[in-house]
Amino acid sequence: MSGDAARRSSPDLSTRVGPLRLQNPILTASGTFGYGLEFADRADLHRLGGLVTKGLSLEPLAGNPPVRIAETRGGMLNSIGLQNIGVDRFLSDVLPGLKDLPPKVIVNLFGYAQDEYVRLAERVDPYEGVAAVELNVSCPNVSKGGIEFGHDPEILAGLVRRVRSATGKPIVVKLSPNVTSPQDLGRAAKDGGADILSAVNTFVGMAIDTATMRPVLSTVRGGLSGPAIKPLALRIVFDVAREVDLPVIGIGGIETVDDVLEFLLAGASAVQVGTALFRDPRTAERLVDGLRERLRTGGIPSVDSLIGAAARPE
Amino acid sequence: MLDVQALPLPYFLLRVRVAAMEPAEPGQFVMVAGANRPEPYLRRAFSVYDQEAAADGSLVISLLGKVIGRGTEALAACLPGERIPVLGPLGRGFHSVASRISGYDGSGSGRAALVAGGIGSAGLGLLAQALARAGRSFDFFYGGRSAEDLVEAETFRRLSERTGGRLVKTTEDGSAGERGLITVPLKAGLRAGAGYTTVCTCGPHGLMAAVAGIAAASGVVGEAATETPMGCGYGACLGCAVTLKNGGYALCCRQGPVFRLDEVAW
Ligand SMILES: Cc1cc2nc3c(=O)[nH]c(=O)nc-3n(C[C@H](O)[C@H](O)[C@H](O)COP(=O)(O)OP(=O)(O)OC[C@H]3O[C@@H](n4cnc5c(N)ncnc54)[C@H](O)[C@@H]3O)c2cc1C
Ligand SMILES: Cc1cc2nc3c(=O)[nH]c(=O)nc-3n(C[C@H](O)[C@H](O)[C@H](O)COP(=O)(O)O)c2cc1C
Ligand code: FES
Repeated sequence: MSGDAARRSSPDLSTRVGPLRLQNPILTASGTFGYGLEFADRADLHRLGGLVTKGLSLEPLAGNPPVRIAETRGGMLNSIGLQNIGVDRFLSDVLPGLKDLPPKVIVNLFGYAQDEYVRLAERVDPYEGVAAVELNVSCPNVSKGGIEFGHDPEILAGLVRRVRSATGKPIVVKLSPNVTSPQDLGRAAKDGGADILSAVNTFVGMAIDTATMRPVLSTVRGGLSGPAIKPLALRIVFDVAREVDLPVIGIGGIETVDDVLEFLLAGASAVQVGTALFRDPRTAERLVDGLRERLRTGGIPSVDSLIGAAARPE
Repeated sequence: MLDVQALPLPYFLLRVRVAAMEPAEPGQFVMVAGANRPEPYLRRAFSVYDQEAAADGSLVISLLGKVIGRGTEALAACLPGERIPVLGPLGRGFHSVASRISGYDGSGSGRAALVAGGIGSAGLGLLAQALARAGRSFDFFYGGRSAEDLVEAETFRRLSERTGGRLVKTTEDGSAGERGLITVPLKAGLRAGAGYTTVCTCGPHGLMAAVAGIAAASGVVGEAATETPMGCGYGACLGCAVTLKNGGYALCCRQGPVFRLDEVAW
């Protein structure tokens, strides 16, 4: 199609991420938009490609003591402690209000033992409104001396295999950036039966209050997010998309249309927006409009044609 | 942004026209940032200090600030005419105690003590106005390090005197009012039977904790407008936990920022 013709027709924002079909490639990231519904008056949920819930566990969790967040240059550290209402309350109280909206609902799950992930997957499996499960594997495995599930290829493959047998839903494995070679973990997730990879979770960091001479966060370490991590996250998405034969959802510091384009060009089939929502709850829908406009003015007919373009030989 | 009024350093007053915002209740806040600034990354919480409906249906809000770090520097540097992001009104204001007992809705009885530490006075501006409008008598206890910190003393004098109450000032250096901490005259007032049935406070954590202790010892109920670091201000990040006496956490931005004095683990 010539540039002019593309300009006249509306560009196609829909995208296929493995078994998932999304109306556009912009999702909200886990832990940065609650369960979605509570912000229906501050954002137009209908226009999102998808919505990833706050991480859910078998039982409700109260989270960490304050101080839980610390602003940094270009972002923030958090140690929320996975505060959540528990999977059962989500399924009974929240999901009914979400399931008929156009965005796909992806349920983010975490546990401290393999069994907990399996039981969570079994719990959500019967619900039609759940389009996929995303496994947060940046949690310490209590029975294996506290090493994170997402830091050991064998443990990760074993975990995904067990979850695979518990649900027919598409499985997204959310990679930790705090390893030397995230692509190795991506490969392990694929071996275990994952359908999609999302990358990345937060980078471990810390901040110190020079007045009190103490760490700012009650937990000392926290997860870094926001624009500061974008180049780091982009590199990981690029490597993972090239080396692992699974679709990738890019995450990390996304706030502008150019950020979205960079992640698509690096090989992501969709993106999640997190910390940028804290500055403005309408960031995600703004990106949907901005992306459509950019494709239109650039004469780019579809999102598909962008995916991975930067990785292809010239 | 209508104008920026430089008050005695390091204080400032911003007047901002917001197109579509409900009027704030006493104690509610907005999230704001300087114009077109990528840094600091997160917006800052500001109490709505004053507000008036404009003829065109928009709302003009006033924010009273103190320059502390990067966020407040950016705000104080705003120019009239610049567009700044404003999200609000947010949170729950002075509700249970204030309206039930010393009600600004006119339903209560008894007198109120409002206790501000420095810039905490910003969080009590709308409450003082509401009490004055409802004809509820209150005394305003205003403490600071020195005279400059009692930046809005005249406003609170006027409002409290309108209700038959008065302004009580203290400074740590003695440059205005009695030398010492504001909790001293508050305690004395409670002991002397000034007829307070409610205490409402906003200021540094230590002050609010002390006020909670004094109120409990005197059998007076009250509320505090608390402050925590905030990521979003609207309930999305779960970063603004306030520890409660029952061992649980509450979100400052959604369940607060105003809490009952006796429910917070100071
Ligand atoms: C509900 C709520 C309402 C608020 N209302 C107002 C208001 O009406 N007017 C107003 O000026 N501020 C108000 N604040 C505080 C404001 O949001 C900022 O946190 C504060 O102004 C500091 O921001 P900053 O960017 O200038 O400093 P930062 O760059 O964030 O901090 C610089 C340094 O100062 C320390 N610091 C942060 N806050 C304080 C403080 N309050 N006192 C002493 N040191 C501090 C930090 O730990 C850091 O080390 C309110 C906060 C909340 C939660
Ligand atoms: C406050 C906060 C809470 C988060 N909670 C979760 C969570 O519960 N589960 C999860 O998998 N990721 C969680 N994340 C990570 C984000 O989903 C995302 O991977 C990360 O923040 C990077 O994206 P961003 O830079 O766009 O925020 C959280 C991030 C933040 C800032
Ligand atoms: S500031 Fe984000 S939840 Fe309260």
